[in-house]
Amino acid sequence: MIANQLSANSDLQVLPAVGHLARPTQWAVRVEAVHKAYRRGGTTTPVLNGVDLAVAAGECVFLAGPSGSGKTTLLSILGCILTPDRGRVQILDRDVLALDPPGRVCLRRDQIGFVFQRFNLIRGLTALENVCVPLVLRGVSARAAHRRGRVLLEAVGLAEKMGAQPQNLSAGECQRVALARALANNPELILADEPTASLDAANGPEVMKLLRRLTTEEGKTAIVVTHDQRIFPFADRVLWLENGRVVETEQLASPSPAGVGAQRVEA
Amino acid sequence: MWSIAFQTLIADRGKLLTALVGVVFSIVLVNVQGGLFLGFIKKAGLLADCGEAQIWVGHKKMYNVDFPQDIPRRWVHRVRSVPGVKRAEPYLIGQTNTTLPSGGFELVVVVGADRESLLGNAWNVVQGRPEAILKPNGVIIDEYDREKLEYPEMGEIREVGGLRARVVGFSHGIKSFLVTPYVFTTYERAAAYLRKNPNVCSYYLVQLQPGAEAEEVCAAIRQRVPELDAFPRHVYSRISANYWLTRSGLGISFGAATLIGLFVGFVMVAQTLYALVLDRLTEFGTLKAIGATERQIYRILFLQATFMAVVGSLIGLVLVAAIQHFYSTPVALIFIPGWLSLGSGALVLVICLIASSLPYLRIRKVDPLIVLQS
Repeated sequence: MIANQLSANSDLQVLPAVGHLARPTQWAVRVEAVHKAYRRGGTTTPVLNGVDLAVAAGECVFLAGPSGSGKTTLLSILGCILTPDRGRVQILDRDVLALDPPGRVCLRRDQIGFVFQRFNLIRGLTALENVCVPLVLRGVSARAAHRRGRVLLEAVGLAEKMGAQPQNLSAGECQRVALARALANNPELILADEPTASLDAANGPEVMKLLRRLTTEEGKTAIVVTHDQRIFPFADRVLWLENGRVVETEQLASPSPAGVGAQRVEA
Repeated sequence: MWSIAFQTLIADRGKLLTALVGVVFSIVLVNVQGGLFLGFIKKAGLLADCGEAQIWVGHKKMYNVDFPQDIPRRWVHRVRSVPGVKRAEPYLIGQTNTTLPSGGFELVVVVGADRESLLGNAWNVVQGRPEAILKPNGVIIDEYDREKLEYPEMGEIREVGGLRARVVGFSHGIKSFLVTPYVFTTYERAAAYLRKNPNVCSYYLVQLQPGAEAEEVCAAIRQRVPELDAFPRHVYSRISANYWLTRSGLGISFGAATLIGLFVGFVMVAQTLYALVLDRLTEFGTLKAIGATERQIYRILFLQATFMAVVGSLIGLVLVAAIQHFYSTPVALIFIPGWLSLGSGALVLVICLIASSLPYLRIRKVDPLIVLQS
């Protein structure tokens, strides 16, 4: 249904999913032997110790693990916010390390959508204006951005809340606005950092249902960092990280549509 | 982008108000201080600016309208013979005392105009008529000097330089730089009040023939009478203003107050923008995380600073107009030319933009990673 709503909107023609056109392989994300360490004072703290990861297009993968295991660092590398010390990172068939900083910003802006734990909506902007921010940053005209924003807010069930300020929205509604914002530029890859951590038992699964339907119906790839085991059934795979390495993969469903049925594979 | 900048700015109304107060303060201070300064300076050359003479001819060392040196009256014929000169008349300016009804004395500047042409006589005469100085002992004084001269009335007899003087008219707004009252009368009577030899005068006031160029005629006068100097009236007015500027330190004191105003505005705008940014570091981090470039981030700050400068300047200029309307008098003239208002607005805009670069330096250090480390 969401797919129909989004695809029916003519603005999507203005914002082509560049990744679809340019991606000859089935992998949305490929990470090989990635190392990352933080240096503070004279101390070096390794965070990622040779992570390998491959995520197929349309797959929904969860990254789980204890605090300090490297989940957020890995997500930041996938989002082109951090660069690894060593290793190889390919996002939508583009070698991230070969891109200059502005190139990484463009890749992030045009093909990656972010969903944050605390929503990170901009105060002073309405729900609709918040959704339009990535479009404005991309140079889309205000009118086209608003058309696209309305479609997205309708798709996440917030047609009645377009003019509401973030402080007047519930946590669940805020996260749905954030999800709509993440989809504004029609990205191929959605990265979510603890998207349900600030939501209650009812809203958490609701947001995940939305995210899951998007990956299923729109063919988007999603990588979700989470501690919330209640939402694991929405994943195709759950990767367990410990001490900067993927130590275990839990295959919950065949890649693509969400399903149930776990199959653990030791890494 | 404008929408993001504007909406986030007005969302913090308290801070926006603080910044606007800073800008308004700067604009008001710059314009009122500058206006008072220009008003004072304008008075230094008031006789030259407002009189009907186009050229002032005087002693080789002429440097201030109110402080002339004597020149022979008979040389006026040599000036009259210069091509382009339509009329040249002697003019006398000097200081003497007038007695007050209370028994005191007040220093006055006596101005004597040629009785035929009345060139250089009082203007803006609001009581009586300018030519009334031709009446026996007739003098015209300014209505703003009434208090200082202990409220003379029309027709009242006073004593100037120990001789009779009858008040035959009042002008409006002819105030000297030194706030010494001007007393306008005829050349001969002025010479008597000032106890001057009638064969000397202070200046020759020159009117030009149609089409004559003031600068060219001045050069011709200097050539014809090398003992004298000649300036177009606006030049001599500027020379008189410079006299006070360079010898009184007036420019420094007004300039310092104006700079303080600008500095306060700068600090308030910079502090407000910085506080806004500190409050919104995570949001700027979010913008970076979702793909805002450094240039786009600066553009947001640039637009916010521009908004503050423009709105603050407009409010400030409205206030300045009100202050000028209600408080500007010939005694404390607030003269605000268009270039001062526009210049202050432009200056404040530049200051706001510089102020916006301080928080930008802070934002540059914001790592988008912060939004993933919450």
